[in-house]
Amino acid sequence: MGVALVTSLHKWNLLSPMRFVGLRNYVALFKAPDFWNALRVTIVYVVGIVPTALVISIVVAILLNERILGLPFFRIMVYLPAITPMAAAALIFVHLLEPDFGLINYVLSFFGIPKLRWLNDPGLALLAVMMVGVWKDIGYNAIIVLAGLQSIPGVYYDAARIDGANRVQIVGRITLPLLSPVIFFIAVVQVIASLQVFTSIKVMTSGGPAGATESIPYYLYNNAFRYSNMGYASAVALVLFVIIFVFTMLQFRFGERKVHY
Amino acid sequence: MQLMEEKRLRLVRVVLIQLFLLAFVLVLNVPFVWMVTTSLKIRKDVFIYPPQLFGSQLSFKGYAYVWTFVPFARYLLNSLFISTAVGVSRVILASLAAYAFAKIPFAGSRQVFYIFLGTMMIPFEVIVIPNYIIVKALGWLDTYYALIVPLSIRAFSIFLLRQFFLQIPRELDDAAEMDGAGRLRCLFTIMYPLARPALLTVCLYSFLESWNSFFWPLVVTNKDTMRVVQIGLSALADPTISIQWNEICAAIALATLPIVVMFFFVQKYFLEGITITGMKA
Repeated sequence: MGVALVTSLHKWNLLSPMRFVGLRNYVALFKAPDFWNALRVTIVYVVGIVPTALVISIVVAILLNERILGLPFFRIMVYLPAITPMAAAALIFVHLLEPDFGLINYVLSFFGIPKLRWLNDPGLALLAVMMVGVWKDIGYNAIIVLAGLQSIPGVYYDAARIDGANRVQIVGRITLPLLSPVIFFIAVVQVIASLQVFTSIKVMTSGGPAGATESIPYYLYNNAFRYSNMGYASAVALVLFVIIFVFTMLQFRFGERKVHY
Repeated sequence: MQLMEEKRLRLVRVVLIQLFLLAFVLVLNVPFVWMVTTSLKIRKDVFIYPPQLFGSQLSFKGYAYVWTFVPFARYLLNSLFISTAVGVSRVILASLAAYAFAKIPFAGSRQVFYIFLGTMMIPFEVIVIPNYIIVKALGWLDTYYALIVPLSIRAFSIFLLRQFFLQIPRELDDAAEMDGAGRLRCLFTIMYPLARPALLTVCLYSFLESWNSFFWPLVVTNKDTMRVVQIGLSALADPTISIQWNEICAAIALATLPIVVMFFFVQKYFLEGITITGMKA
């Protein structure tokens, strides 16, 4: 951490000696259109995938919480994508998104959608990366929401039913409010994790086309390990740290009640 | 009569939910299934449109091809070795620290523990550059040290084990000490058997985290012989090399299978560990 801070105040390409430049890295950073683009890409990514994965997994968890047969089987199947290594998952999606003979374009053709060039289209590439993100996040979310649901005492439901509440009312007035600490916890965890999106981008698009999928971590990687701008990249890292730190604090302030540490 | 009607409605509902969930997990796992069946196709079947789930014949040529094509076997072995080393070292190192924090009162114990916890809040991307600079200064680039040592301890593992050790009654240690056992002996013969679920959880998470890690190995390795399997995979997507999707899928299957098999055997521990700790694997 300290090293990162000190490095961020220097100009350094690893070969020549470090040169102190004060806050100039930060000034350059906030003036760089590339940085703002990376920030925008990251925000779109986070705002796109966190709520999507959350809504899907809440619905699934509520259904799993009904007395269904084969719950262990369903839990395993829902969780399988979550343990798949991200590099592998991203590569599978590259195959499924293949423009000419990929499965996803084939399915879309039933709805009259022409063949899309997912990973080469600046308007679609980020969406493709987000698909993998959602696919992998559902399992984790659903398992935690399910545990949250199971900790809600049955008497609440009984009471509501005696008062004549229907299913929709029960979900809206009892389940979701009681679940809100869990949902909040997951949302923060996923925001923090999504802010660090890197592997899927590296495998699927390498930040392209034309920077359309260049997230902050990818921007950092490029600057540090391809252009050897260690000082500048450290400044990027610190900006990312501040953003993530804010969310971590949120989690500590409001999430404590739920997490059974 | 009305009761019967209600029962019937409930049955219909349960069946509908069951069917919906079944459809959902099937769709969710399509990428997975597709990857496995594609890995068993032959080259020309990959280019058929509309895409078919199964090829014209079942073949293991894809597997044979990747096994010999790139040093893929070497990648797998590297990953296996590194992940095992990380899993084992984290259990040993974290349990030593956790035991000290939980059972040995020393000045500043609480403060040191909080500093350790504080490191959990620092995301990997933020420390990748300092870590890289340190590893480079040590001359560890392109060595196993770089891939193992920085991952060999995590505050979260210490934290998890400390909480577990705290629940084990003091009297057990006291009795052992009275009988002449030292600290280490207490840890290994009293704590280890009692804390087996927690130790296993730490070990599995660490193995998984290391196996799936990508950014760090990408940065600190360059030589082909030091590559881990995830990096090896990403290199396959390069359109300039002569490899087809059945072969790439075979490589993906090889890189994913160990994790999936492990998961099936220990999924109970795994899923419980997630719900107790809220840890995102």
